[in-house]
Order: sequence, then structure tokens, then C-alpha cells
Amino acid sequence: MTQLAKPSMFENPYRPWPARITSITELTSTEKLFELRIIDPDVREAFHHSDGQFVELSIFGVGEAPISISSSPSKQGFIELCVRRAGTVTTVLHDMQCGDVVGLRGPFGHGFPFEEMKGKDILLVAGGLGIAPLRSLINHIHDERSEFGNVTIIYGSRNPAEVMFRSQFEMWRHRKDFNLILTVDRTNDLPWDGEVGLVTKFIPGLELDPSNTYGAIVGPPGMYRFVIAEMRKKGLHYDKIYVSFERQMKCGMGRCGHCMVGHQYTCIDGPVFNYWEAVNIQGAM
Amino acid sequence: MLFRVIDKNEVPSLVRGFAAHYEVVGPVERNGGFAFDEVGSDPSRLRVDYDTTLLPPKKYLFPPKAELFTYDTVNNEVKDIDIPVVPRVLFGLHSCDINAINRLDAVFMASDFPDPYYRAQREATMIVGIDCTPNDHCFCNLWGTDEVTQGYDLFLHDLGDRYLVSILSVTAAEILAVATSARPASPKDSIDFQEKARAFKNSFSSGPAVYELPILMDAFYNDGLWDELGDRCLSCTACSMVCPTCYCFNMVDKLDAGGRSGARLRLWDSCCSPSFALVAGGHNFRPTAASRVRNRFYHKFLGYLSKYGNTLCTGCGRCERACKAHISPRVVIQGLQHKAVQSDAAAQGEGGRS
Repeated sequence: MTQLAKPSMFENPYRPWPARITSITELTSTEKLFELRIIDPDVREAFHHSDGQFVELSIFGVGEAPISISSSPSKQGFIELCVRRAGTVTTVLHDMQCGDVVGLRGPFGHGFPFEEMKGKDILLVAGGLGIAPLRSLINHIHDERSEFGNVTIIYGSRNPAEVMFRSQFEMWRHRKDFNLILTVDRTNDLPWDGEVGLVTKFIPGLELDPSNTYGAIVGPPGMYRFVIAEMRKKGLHYDKIYVSFERQMKCGMGRCGHCMVGHQYTCIDGPVFNYWEAVNIQGAM
Repeated sequence: MLFRVIDKNEVPSLVRGFAAHYEVVGPVERNGGFAFDEVGSDPSRLRVDYDTTLLPPKKYLFPPKAELFTYDTVNNEVKDIDIPVVPRVLFGLHSCDINAINRLDAVFMASDFPDPYYRAQREATMIVGIDCTPNDHCFCNLWGTDEVTQGYDLFLHDLGDRYLVSILSVTAAEILAVATSARPASPKDSIDFQEKARAFKNSFSSGPAVYELPILMDAFYNDGLWDELGDRCLSCTACSMVCPTCYCFNMVDKLDAGGRSGARLRLWDSCCSPSFALVAGGHNFRPTAASRVRNRFYHKFLGYLSKYGNTLCTGCGRCERACKAHISPRVVIQGLQHKAVQSDAAAQGEGGRS
């Protein structure tokens, strides 16, 4: 009695769409930036993401991995993914070449409130691979720079060899419209003309108007508590500080359960939460 | 809602009426217990007097292992994405299991990302509910899931020698009309129904009240209770496998011999599995059995509630039977309530001294 249901092209959210790797940039010894273009022109055109969202990247025969989008929504037609060689999917991806095809589903999740942030001063803090999702927001703000007040970016890495998007940030250091602080925990005797110290070291000295400032933090789990504490000392509101969580988002649709944190699904309720939401998620902070 | 009355000996005829158009699945006796199986071809196997089954009926909507699509690894393309659907009647489901399907419907159907696999099969599925007799493991009465008011096509209420049939779908009503000599309910039927319903409510052993459960889940999130339960938990995941409402899953790729093609599969998974919250790079967000047991109950009693307005437990009692470590919703509820009383007594004591 078996019949077959044939959902239309866009009705199946489990279906990955073939996307071609059009550029690969080696960022560090473990991270690469992949530029991807969805091959089907209709699907490519229909793909719109917001800052902080992620995609599910498929390699057929290997599996899927959730990867945050590193490119700005102001750039259409392609997306960039900053990927660390960490699990099975990302290891295979790292060995792929320009022209190879992968699968993409998404975009998924809630991102940063870009429209709400307009007209405000912005303080962005990235630690390590946290720059990957935050770069989407950074570049988006850059592309609509006149819409924002003062913009401060603090980007911390463990050592100079781990600094990503270095050429972009090197150029920005001389710009008057971005207060960019690049810092490393240790120089490891490598050439470095940026700052040395944890990201938290640079927040107390900032001149901020707390009632008019939005903060955003993405980094390793241990970093959030300390950076939030510094932002709170500066007087930033609970619900104006945004964080992004990294979990094993397998389905992206609030169903499979792997990314559950407290009562929330990271994939649909996050991955970006404001601090007020985040502190009210049991076990999150 | 429409009501009709049929005689009990008309059930086989009703099953045959459905079987002309649908695969009919119902409870049958197996290995000294009960299981859901195909009964359309032989309605005499149907055991409407069953207490419960080892596995819930969710497997007919959300299979333990399903192929989402096949792909070609040479050109990296999705090949075949057809969804197999079996028009089916789930015959003889108890209120707990229909309520459980309603909870799954909320997750798989009424979402921003409706699940095409679940939806296709759910829309091809009819449900015929039937009254049950509570046993020692049942606690649906705690959640109010001893009654069901939606999600079924027919519900057979036991009036002794006949059934009062509650009808929610036209298709089922038509089959009922053809297959049986269904007649309108009389005043006597409604009086008998009221008495039966009252007796049913009284047949449950009284359990703890659960109004404050979400508060307790939150208040005792960091309590040692979870460590005690975690020490006992074997991480065998039997609880999730027998649960009618657990819907966590995993997706894995399986290559065909030769590696030129393959399939992406969706498999039942359990949040009590040790690697469930492991992320690439090796960090495990729930590395201990205690953190996993707590997550499971936190989702059931609070997480799902906050999203969908219901508790993700229907008191069917299957996990209570399946768990070798005696961890169950009732154990957790009683443990939390005991903790609350203890803490309150301690606070009173401190108050008295100061």
C-alpha cells in the first residue's frame, strides 16, 4: 500500500543544496576561509542570511556540521565560512579544492539584532574562532558604517599565529571610524605590533555611553563570564549584551535535541541570545 | 464532535471496514506482553483489552531508522528524495499514546520547519482510540492525559456491552457507518458514560500533585538529587526508546558498497547517550550521567512546556518498566518534592534559632 509523497524543491528542510567552493584562503594552520556559491540559481537567489546565523554543511558520505556564516548579509550570491579542522566533516572539507562541491542547508537560527543596533554605539569582542560569526556583523556594520555611532572591536587570539583575517584588520587599524584593538595572550616570540593581554584588559579604559551601547561577544565558553562582567561594570544593559553559543546543532530546526541548553534549543532560539535570555537558561553561562 | 453507539461485537467488522482501504495496526499478544502489529488481515488477533505495549506507536510516524534521501558522491547531488507513505489506521490507542502523538505533531508539524517525512505519514494515518484500564505503572492522571479531546478520528468509550464512539473525522465516520450499525447515542448511553468516566477517574492510585513541578525543576537544578540519579543511570537509553514522546534523533551518512552513492539516515537518538552533546573538537556539554538525566527531565517538565504549553510526558509508564535503575518521572517528582519539604524544614529551623 506504500505510496510516495513528493515534496516540492523548497519544502524539504533536510535537503542540502549543492554548492561549489569558489575560493579557499588559509587563515592559520588550522583554519581556512571557504567561499561557497549555491549552484542552483533560484536557490542561490532565495538564500538570505542575517548576522550570526549558521548553515549545515554536508559532505555526502561523511555527514553534516553546523558552521556559522562569516560573510556579511550585504554581500549576496555567495557565503564565506571560516572553518577549523576539528571533526570528521571539517577535516574532509579542509582537504577539498576550489571547484569541489559540498551541500548546504539553511540559514538557521536567530542572529544579532542588526536593525535594532543602528544608531547606537557598538562594542564587539571576539576571542579565537569567535571571530567567525562576529565577522559577519563586523563587515555588515562596515558596509553600512554611517548608520552606527562609535564602533569598537576587540579581537583576542592566543598568539600572533592564530590571528585570523589579519590583512583585513591590519588595514582597519589605520581607520578613524573603527576603534580596533588586536590583542594576543602571548607573543610566543613572533613578530607582533598589536596589544598583549586578555580582551577583558581593554574594556575598563573605553569611553562608553552605556545607555546607547550594544555589546556582542563571541568566543570560547570560558570567556563570556569575564567579558560580560566588564561590560556590566561599564553599565551596559543586560538585554543589550549579545552572546553566541556553540553546540552540536544537528538538524537546525529545534528538533533533534543535540544542541539543547536548559529549556532552549541553540539552533532556533539562538545561537545568538542577549545576556538577559542567556542568564535565564539553566546551565548556559 | 459527533457521537454514535456500536455493539462490542462489531469491532472486527469495523477493523475489516478500515482494512479495505488502509493497513490496520493494533495491539496483539506477543511474548507474554503486547505489541502493535498489523491486524487488518486477522481482526481476531486484536486485543483491545491490552494494558500497554513495550514500544509506543510513535514508530509508525517517526520510524527508528528512516532514509531521508539518497545521493551521488561523484557529482555530489541529492538523487532521490521521495517519501514512502503507508495509509494506515492505528487502532486501539489509549489516551496517553494519542496525547503523545499530539505532542509529536506540535514538534514535527506546527513548526517553522514542518517535517515533510512525519507530515506525509501523519496525514495518511487515522487513529482509533479506546478506553483503558490503569495499571500500577500508569500515571497519566497526574498530567490530565487520561483524557484526550483531539488528534483521533474515532474514540471508543467502553459502556460494558457497547462502545460510545466519539467521531472527529468524516472519513472515519463514513467507514463506521458502512461497517457497523452505528446508532445515535441515547440519554441512557450518556448516563452510562458519565458513570464509567467517574469510575475510571477513581481507578487511579492517587499520585503527587504536579502544579509546582516547573518551579522545583528550576529551584533544584543544581541539587545533589541529580547526582544520586546519575550514579544509578546506566546510560542505556531504554527510557527514550520506549517513550511515546521522546523525539531526539541523529542523522548519519551511509555509503553503498563502492562509495559512489549513499543515503542520509535519521535514527532515533537519546539525550541520555554519553556522546549526545559532544561537539567537534572533543568538548562534551553533558559529560556526566547526572547532567544527562537532568537534561532529559528538564526538557520533559519545563523545556517542552515553555515552548508548547504541555509536559512532555503522558504517564504511560513504559520508562518506569524499562529502567533497570528505577529512575522514572514519578521518582523524579517525588524526589524533588521531598527536597522541597526538607529545604523548607531546614529554613524553618534556621528561622526558629535566630
